[in-house]
Amino acid sequence: MKKVALQVLLVEDNSGDARLIREMFGKERPGSFALTHVLRLGEALILLKKGGIDIVLLDMGLPDGHGLDTVRRAHAIAPGIPLVVLTGLDDEALAVEAMKEGAQDYLIKGEIENRALPRALRHSIERQRMQSETELIRAQQMQFKDEFLSHVSHELRSPLTAIHQFVTVLLDGAAGALAPEQRQYLQIALRNIKQLDSMINDLLDVTRAQSGKLIIEPQYASASDAIAYAVNTLQGAAKAKEISLESDIEHELPMVCADPTRVRQILVILVDNAIKFTPVGGVVRVLARPVDDDPNLLVLEVSDSGCGFSPDVAEQIFERLFQAPDRAWAGRKGLGLGLYICRQLVTLQGGRIWAKSTPGRGAVFSFTLPVFSLTKLIAPALRRERRRDRSIALVIAELSSETGWLSDEVRAECCHEVRDLLRRCLLSDLAVLLPRMGSPGAAELFFMVVVTDAIGSETIVERIREQYNAPEGVSRTGLTLAASVRPLEAIARSANESVDIFLEKTSNALHALIDEEISSRMVANGQQ
Amino acid sequence: MGNNKILIVDDDPDIREGMHVRLKYSGYDTCFANDALSSIAAAAKEAPDLIILDLGLPEGGGFLAIERLKAHPTSHGIPIIVVSAKDARANRERAIRAGATAYLQKPVDNAEFLAVIRGALRESAPADSQNIAGIVACVHE
Repeated sequence: MKKVALQVLLVEDNSGDARLIREMFGKERPGSFALTHVLRLGEALILLKKGGIDIVLLDMGLPDGHGLDTVRRAHAIAPGIPLVVLTGLDDEALAVEAMKEGAQDYLIKGEIENRALPRALRHSIERQRMQSETELIRAQQMQFKDEFLSHVSHELRSPLTAIHQFVTVLLDGAAGALAPEQRQYLQIALRNIKQLDSMINDLLDVTRAQSGKLIIEPQYASASDAIAYAVNTLQGAAKAKEISLESDIEHELPMVCADPTRVRQILVILVDNAIKFTPVGGVVRVLARPVDDDPNLLVLEVSDSGCGFSPDVAEQIFERLFQAPDRAWAGRKGLGLGLYICRQLVTLQGGRIWAKSTPGRGAVFSFTLPVFSLTKLIAPALRRERRRDRSIALVIAELSSETGWLSDEVRAECCHEVRDLLRRCLLSDLAVLLPRMGSPGAAELFFMVVVTDAIGSETIVERIREQYNAPEGVSRTGLTLAASVRPLEAIARSANESVDIFLEKTSNALHALIDEEISSRMVANGQQ
Repeated sequence: MGNNKILIVDDDPDIREGMHVRLKYSGYDTCFANDALSSIAAAAKEAPDLIILDLGLPEGGGFLAIERLKAHPTSHGIPIIVVSAKDARANRERAIRAGATAYLQKPVDNAEFLAVIRGALRESAPADSQNIAGIVACVHE
């Protein structure tokens, strides 16, 4: 088999160093290395982009690149090509850092021993190959695990669904009246079905959390509703142990920006745990209140009068597969995934979770959730629009519930938010906005909240387009759709051709920005 | 007025039977199909008021069934509720975009199941345009 020459790219601006390297290659068997030499990082990046290079010898002090930055840039362009860094005698620490940034090895100029260069290069290439292979295998295994678990859970769920259906059919009396004893046994069966179902869900959630695929759909959500749901769901289990399960919710609690299903899931896990670890006749309490020193956060707490835990496991209990020692009396062990899932879900929603306890005196599990703020949601849209003078941004924040049918109160509350926003943006209503859209130099932003379920949203976007695209005297200069909650992304995609910019999910650290933006607009417009 | 008729499309006979019993008990008439292709024929023949559809169907799968049902003039306006064991978070959006009205994950809570059916039957009345007018108006307020 004929050996192909290794394509080496030398990036070195010092002609003396370059000559030395060239001489080293000169001692090798002809045809084993092909050297390309460039003086600048820019040229190297172009060559790397083109491909065909097997390995890069990179000087870290170039006219257009210094230190670790050179390594980062080269590695970013060609992550699969091994990099060997050339460094001076006094820079060895930097070279070690370079390896953390993706370099395979480093060579100290003037210290390269006889024939060490080709060996270092071959080893680097081999290491890189092994690394890529390991990564590929890992990715394949992850995918296999995901597919397998998804398949298994589906296959487990189908028979479970059938069992669930018939048990509930019987319990509903759809197949005739039940004797009290029969009813009681069916209820036990149903409770176990639900446990099995939630275990399947936990397994899936953990797999997803590990592969970074745990989906959170933050929206306008009520913490009190979630608490009421959890208390309702577990009231039966509490009663069975004669535990008093209470909730204490502050009046006029602000709405949160969270995934309501996930908040319910967190609370159910925490309350279920609390009941498990509280002896007969105890108390479990759920409460929600604003965080004292941060109005942007809400704290939810589940406290119990149970056995508690030792303070030194306060962190550990959120680890995967953690099981409390000596908990035989607490009933079934469970999978040991609940609190781990809680922590993943809270963190993904921008909150924090912690636990406190004095052994024998109960435990308190607390987590925070961000308070809902429209301004926060649309801040990135403002930032993006700042560059576009004379444009109109139509920002739609859709507040949608999972299966639709929002209550009138929710609608009213949302409308209130819209009015507030419009007022703050000096656009009290659409009648004021429309002429402004046409006036020269108008660089206003238009906020709008569409409260709907998934059914009509596409049509609504269509409608808005028709209505505001070409009204008399109004020129449409820009139409932006800001996606802040998940259902809106679907609309944005479907309406993609009719909008100029589609904004992805917002980050939540831009609250100050919008206030600044709005106040600057107020000043510019001479209104307060 | 007669009962609302619901077409149940699921390849699992036990699940079809369970849903049938539940729906019958709540005052609905039912009819059945067990794969994607036959669901289209069944919808044309039975003219149901609502379709309950599984996603993991033989002969093309549930998404294809939704698309076909929504493209067909006789079944175009019939609301479709997806009831699937597949993960809602990964599939709901796609199902809704394809034209489904709601997505429920198996096993479904009976009360929720019936509430969603009632809601979908109500919404399938030609109220779409009124809704939009209402929403624009509430922003106007």
